[in-house]
Amino acid sequence: MNLPEYLLPAADGVPWLTLLVLSPLAGIALIGLAWLLKLDERTIKTGVLAWTGVPLLLAGLIWVRFDPNAVASGQAVVQLVERVPWIQAIRVDYFLGVDGLSMPLVLLTAVMTPVAVIASWGVSARVRAHLALLLLLEAAMLGYFVALDFFFFFIFWEFSLVPAFFLIQNWGREQRRYAAFKFFVYTMAGSLGMLLLFQLIYLSVRQAGYPTFDLIALGRLGQGLPVAGVEGNLRDILFAYLEQLGVTNALGRYPLLYSSIAMWAIFIAFAIKLAVWPFHTWLPDAYAEGPTAASILLSAVMSKMGAYGMLRLLLPFTPDAAQYFAPALAALAVIGVVAGAFGALNQVNGDIKRLIGYTSINHMGYVMLAIAGAAAAGEAGVAARASAINGALVQMVAHGLSTGALFYLAGALYERTGRWELSGLGGLRASAPAFAGVMGIALFANLGLPGLAGFVGEFFIFRGAWATLPFFTALAVIGLVVTALALLLMFQRIFLGPATGNPRAIADLRPQEFWTTAPILLLSLLIGVYPAPLMALGNAAAGQLVAIFTRVLG
Amino acid sequence: MAFFLQNAWLIPLLPLLASAIITLTPIRRQAMASAWLATGLMMVATVLALGLLAAVSGGWALHHGELVQLAAHHSEHGAFAFPEPNVVQRFVWAPTGDTALQMGIYIDGAAAAMLAMVTITSTCIHLFSIGYMAAHPRQSRFFSFIALFTAAMLLMSMADNLLLFFMAWEIMGLCSYLLIGFLYERPSAARAAVKAFITTRIGDVLLLLGIVYLYAQAGGISFGNEEGGIFHPPLLERLASETGALGLSHAAGIALLIFGGTVGKSAQFPLHVWLPDAMEGPTPVSALIHAATMVAAGVFLVARTFPLFAADPTSLGVVAFIGAFTALFAATIALAQFDIKRILAYSTLSQLGFMVAALGVGGWVAAMFHLITHAFFKALLFLGSGSIIHAMEQQPSIQRIHHHDEYAAQQTAQDIRNMGGLRTRLPWTFWTYTAGYLALAGIVPFAGFWSKDEILLDAFKHNLAVYLTLSVAAFLTAVYMTRQWWLVFFGEYRGAHPVVFENPDAPASHAGHGHEDHHHDHDHGEHWHEDPRMIAALVVLASFAVTAGAFNLPFDGPGGHWLASLWGQEAAKLNPLVAGLSLLIALVGIALGWYGYRNAFATAMDTDPLAARAPGLFAVLNAKYRIDELYAATIGRLTTSLATAWSLLDRSVIDRLVDGMGRFTFGLGKVNFIIDDTLLNDGPDGLASGTQGTGRQARRLQTGKAQDYLIYVFSGLLALAVFWLYVIGR
Repeated sequence: MNLPEYLLPAADGVPWLTLLVLSPLAGIALIGLAWLLKLDERTIKTGVLAWTGVPLLLAGLIWVRFDPNAVASGQAVVQLVERVPWIQAIRVDYFLGVDGLSMPLVLLTAVMTPVAVIASWGVSARVRAHLALLLLLEAAMLGYFVALDFFFFFIFWEFSLVPAFFLIQNWGREQRRYAAFKFFVYTMAGSLGMLLLFQLIYLSVRQAGYPTFDLIALGRLGQGLPVAGVEGNLRDILFAYLEQLGVTNALGRYPLLYSSIAMWAIFIAFAIKLAVWPFHTWLPDAYAEGPTAASILLSAVMSKMGAYGMLRLLLPFTPDAAQYFAPALAALAVIGVVAGAFGALNQVNGDIKRLIGYTSINHMGYVMLAIAGAAAAGEAGVAARASAINGALVQMVAHGLSTGALFYLAGALYERTGRWELSGLGGLRASAPAFAGVMGIALFANLGLPGLAGFVGEFFIFRGAWATLPFFTALAVIGLVVTALALLLMFQRIFLGPATGNPRAIADLRPQEFWTTAPILLLSLLIGVYPAPLMALGNAAAGQLVAIFTRVLG
Repeated sequence: MAFFLQNAWLIPLLPLLASAIITLTPIRRQAMASAWLATGLMMVATVLALGLLAAVSGGWALHHGELVQLAAHHSEHGAFAFPEPNVVQRFVWAPTGDTALQMGIYIDGAAAAMLAMVTITSTCIHLFSIGYMAAHPRQSRFFSFIALFTAAMLLMSMADNLLLFFMAWEIMGLCSYLLIGFLYERPSAARAAVKAFITTRIGDVLLLLGIVYLYAQAGGISFGNEEGGIFHPPLLERLASETGALGLSHAAGIALLIFGGTVGKSAQFPLHVWLPDAMEGPTPVSALIHAATMVAAGVFLVARTFPLFAADPTSLGVVAFIGAFTALFAATIALAQFDIKRILAYSTLSQLGFMVAALGVGGWVAAMFHLITHAFFKALLFLGSGSIIHAMEQQPSIQRIHHHDEYAAQQTAQDIRNMGGLRTRLPWTFWTYTAGYLALAGIVPFAGFWSKDEILLDAFKHNLAVYLTLSVAAFLTAVYMTRQWWLVFFGEYRGAHPVVFENPDAPASHAGHGHEDHHHDHDHGEHWHEDPRMIAALVVLASFAVTAGAFNLPFDGPGGHWLASLWGQEAAKLNPLVAGLSLLIALVGIALGWYGYRNAFATAMDTDPLAARAPGLFAVLNAKYRIDELYAATIGRLTTSLATAWSLLDRSVIDRLVDGMGRFTFGLGKVNFIIDDTLLNDGPDGLASGTQGTGRQARRLQTGKAQDYLIYVFSGLLALAVFWLYVIGR
C-alpha cells in the first residue's frame, strides 16, 4: 500500500502496534490455560503481573523506534504505521500508528497496568475474571490510543467500557451497581452524537469523492492540509453535503454553524470521559465505588482517553469551531477546576476515594483549559500554544502516575483500617512513617509541587493558556490553592495529631507496596526535574497541531 | 578563582546530597552521624560560597569557560540596572514548540552575597541543632529536612530564570510545611503547617500568574540585560508603555503579581498570619525560616526582579505602602506578646516590612544590606531564644507541672513572664543575645544600625510618609526589644511560680492537676545548662551581628561601600541628620522600654504595665488585632460553604438531571418495549393474555438488570449505524 510521506511504517516491518494491542489479550488466553491447568490463584496473579511486563516491554521498544522530531507536510509523522484494508464496502482500514500525542499515553497505559494488577492482590473473589478484565481493559485502551481509523477507534472506545463496567459492578463497594450503571450510561449516551457525526462525515467525504474513516486524512482535511485525492477542507465538504441534502435551507447557510455542531458532538463525547463540568458526576461514584484496580486504571489512563480524543479529533477536525468556542470550553474547564477542588474539600471528613476522585476532576479541568487555550483566538504564537498542549500531555502522564499511586495507597490503607471514611482516623504516622512518607510524596506530586511531574504540566498549561485566555487562567489558580488544602487536610486527618483514632496503629509499608509505588513516584520525580525527554515526545506534534490556530479562522 | 566559579552549582547540591543520603541510606538510624554529615557538608558548601564571593568581589567571571576580569560597573544615575553576571550556565530543560525553555544558574554579586549569607547562617543553625535536637527521636529526619530547605534556598539564590526560582521557592514551602509540622503529634503543629503552606500558596499562585504573564509578554523568563533576558531595556520600556488589564501597564501588572508571592512568603500584611503560628516548629526551624531562608526569599524575589518594578512607579508605590504598613503594624503587635519566640516573629514581620518598604522607595542596596544583616542577628536572636527555652524546659518546676504534656511544657517555658534573672544563669546566651538585641534596636556600631539607617535615609530622600512610618516602627522596635530583653535577663527568676499554659488539645484535667502540684512544692532546685555546640553557633552569629555593618559602611575609603560596589550600585553617603535621628529614636525607645518595665513583673502573675495603663489597647494588640478570627469568620467560612454548595449542586441539580434523563429514557424504552412486545410479537390473537404478559414483561424490564438495558441501547445504536450506512447513505 502506498503511504503518503506523513505516514511511516516500521523500518523493520514488524507489526509492533498490533503486537502491543494483542499482547494483553494473549495474557487472557494464558489465564484461561492456567484455569484449565488448575493453577492456584497466587501463581496466576504472579503470572499476570509478569505478563504485564510484555506490553510494557513492547511499549518501550516502540518508544525506542519512535522519532519524535519527524515532521512532514504540515504534521508530525505518524510512525510504525500498519494499514490493511478491512471492510471495503465502507472503506474501513485496519490502520494503526503512533505520533507524539499518543506515544506518552501508550507508555502511561503500559506502566500503570502492572500497578493495577498489584493493587488487586487482595482480591479473593473470582480472581481470574478480575485479572482478565484488567488485561482486556489494557488492550482496549492501548488499541484506542493507536487506532487511526474511526471504525477501530470507536470500537476500542466503546469496548473499554465493558471491562470497566464489570470491574466496578462485580468487585466494587456497596453502591457499585448504581456507579457502574451511571458510568456506562453517561459514556454511552455521550458517544451517540459522535457516532452520528461520523456517519455524516463519511457521507460528506464520500460525496466529495474520497470515502474514508481515516482519522489522519480527515484531520488534515479539517486543518486544510493537502490530502491526495480530494480538494478543499472538511468544513466545506460537510457544508456542501448538507446543502445538497437541503439542511442549509432550513438552518441557514453558515458553514461555522455546522462545524460547531460537529465540534459539540465530538466535545460532549470526550468531555464526559474527561469529566469536564457538568459531565463529571459519574466520576466520583465510579472511582469511589470501583475496586482499587479499576480506580487506578480509570483515573490514571481512561480519563485521558477523553483528552486524547480532543487532541486527535476535535482540534484538527473543527479548528474554526474550536477557536470560536474556546472561551466557552475554557469556562467549563475553569468551573470544573473549581468544582473539583471544592468537591474534594467537602470530602475531607468523608470518603478518601471520593476526595481523590474530585481532585481528578480538578486536574482534568486544567487539561481542558490547555486545549481551549491552545485553540483560542489571540496573538499568541506557536510557542505558547504548543506549550499548552505539551503541558496537557505532561499533566496527563503526571496525573496518571500520582493519582494511580494515591488510589493504590488508599486501597492499602483500607486493607489496614477497614474504613474509607477519613473521620475517625488520626495519628497513624507514628506507627507507619514510611507509609506516610510515600503517601505524602504521592500527594505532593498530585498537588503540583515543583520537582515532581504535576508541576511541569500545570506550569506549561498556565503558560500557554495565559497567552490567549488570561482571565480564565487567572481564575483557575483558585483550584491550585483549594486542592492543596483538601489534600493536606486529608493527610492531616489520616496521619497527624495524636494517635487517638481507630485503629491507633497500622502496619507500615510492606516491601511489595514500596516497590509498587516507588517506581511511579521516581518517574514523577524524573519528569519533574528534567521533563525534556517526555516533552520532546509530543512537542513536534503539538507544534504542528496548533499552527493553524495562530490565524483567525471561521 | 576559576574553581569557585566553575563549581558554584555544588553549593546547593551538597546540602541536597546530605538530605538524600540521610533519607535513603541506613545512616538515618545513626542520629549523630546524620547530624554531622549534614553539618559537615554545609560547612563545605560555606567554604565554596565564600570562595565564590571572593571571586565575584574580585571582578572575576567565566565567559565560555574562560576566566576573565569584568570591567567595573558604574551605575548611571536614574535607571536601575544589574551589572554583568559573573557566571551563567544554561541547558535546555523543556522544548516549547519552536522555542525552548532553558534552565541554569546565574551568579552575580547579589547571588554571591546571598549564597554566603545563607550558608553561614545555615551552618550555624545546623551546628546549634546538633545540641538542640540531640534528645529528639527523629533527629535524622530533622537534619534531612533542614538540609533540603537550605539547598532549596541556595538554588533559588542562583536561579537563572523565574521558573527555577519559583521551583526552589515552592520546595521551601514544602520544607516549611514539613518542619513547622515536625512535631506532628501535636494538633497545633499540624494545623500551623497546613496554614503556612496554604497561606503562602495563595501568594505563590499570584507569583505563578506573574511569571506566566511575563512569559507571554516577553517570550522568556531568563534573567539578564541582553536581548532575550527579562531586563532587556527595550522590553522593559515596552512593558511599561503598553496597557494591560485594569488600566495597569504590563510592567505594573506583572510586578504586582510577582509581589503577591513576596507578600505570602515574606509574610507581609495581609498574608502575614502564617508566620507567628510557624513557631510551632522546633526553634532552629524558626531561625531558619525567619532569618536565613524562607522570609528572605520574598524580599530577594523583588530585589531580583527589581527592574520590572522600577519600570513602572505604580508597583513601587504599592510595595512601599505594604512594607511600611507591615513594619509598623507588626511592631505594635510585638509590644503586647509574652511568648519569646512570638515577639521575635512579629519583629521579623516588621523588619521584613522595612526591607520591602526600602525596595518600594528604590533603596535596592539598603534593602539587600538589611536582608543580610538581619539574617545574622535574627538567626542569633532565635537561636538565643532556643537556648533559653531549652534551659527553661529543663527546669524541674516546669517539668513537674506538665509531666506528660511536652507541648504545654514548652509553651510555659517560652513565656517571658516566667523568666527573669537569666543574665547570670545563662551568661553566654545573655551576652550573645544582647549583641543581637542591640543590632535589632539599631544602636551604633552594631550591624542593624547601619542597614536600618540606610533604609531610613532612602525613605527620607524619596518618600517622607514612609520615612515617618518606619521611624515610628523603629522606635517601637527598640521598646519591645528592651521589654523582652529586660524581662528575660534581669530582675528575679520567676519560673518557680510560672504562668501555666493550658493546652486546649489536651485532656482538661491535666493542667489543673499540675497547678496544685506546684503550690505544694517549693523546694525544687534549678538546673541551668548551656550546650557548647549551641554556644559556638551563637558566638559566630554574634560576631556577625556586631560587625556585619562593616560590609557596607557609608564612608569612602577602605571597607566603605563594599556591598554597593559588589552589587554594582550607587553608594549611599552618610547623612548625619538622618543617622543622628535614628540613633536618637533607638535610644529613646530603649529608655522608654527600660523605664516602663524596670520594676514590672515582680512575680509571673503580675499585669503588664501597658495593660495596666491601657487595658483595651493591650487586649487588641495581644489578640493580634483579631485578624486570625476575622479570616476564620470570613474566608474560612466562605470556603467551607462553597465546598458544601458545590457538592449540593452536584447532587441535587446535576445528578437529579442525569437520573431524570435516565428515567425518561427508560420510560420511553418501556413504552417502546410494551408496544413492540404486545402489538408486534404477541399478535392480535393474544390480546387478552397480552395485558397480563405486558405486566410480566415490564416487571422483567424494571428489575434493573443494567446489562440488559445497555445491550438494548448498544444493539440499537449498531442497528442505527448499519441503517445509516447501507440504507440511507446509498
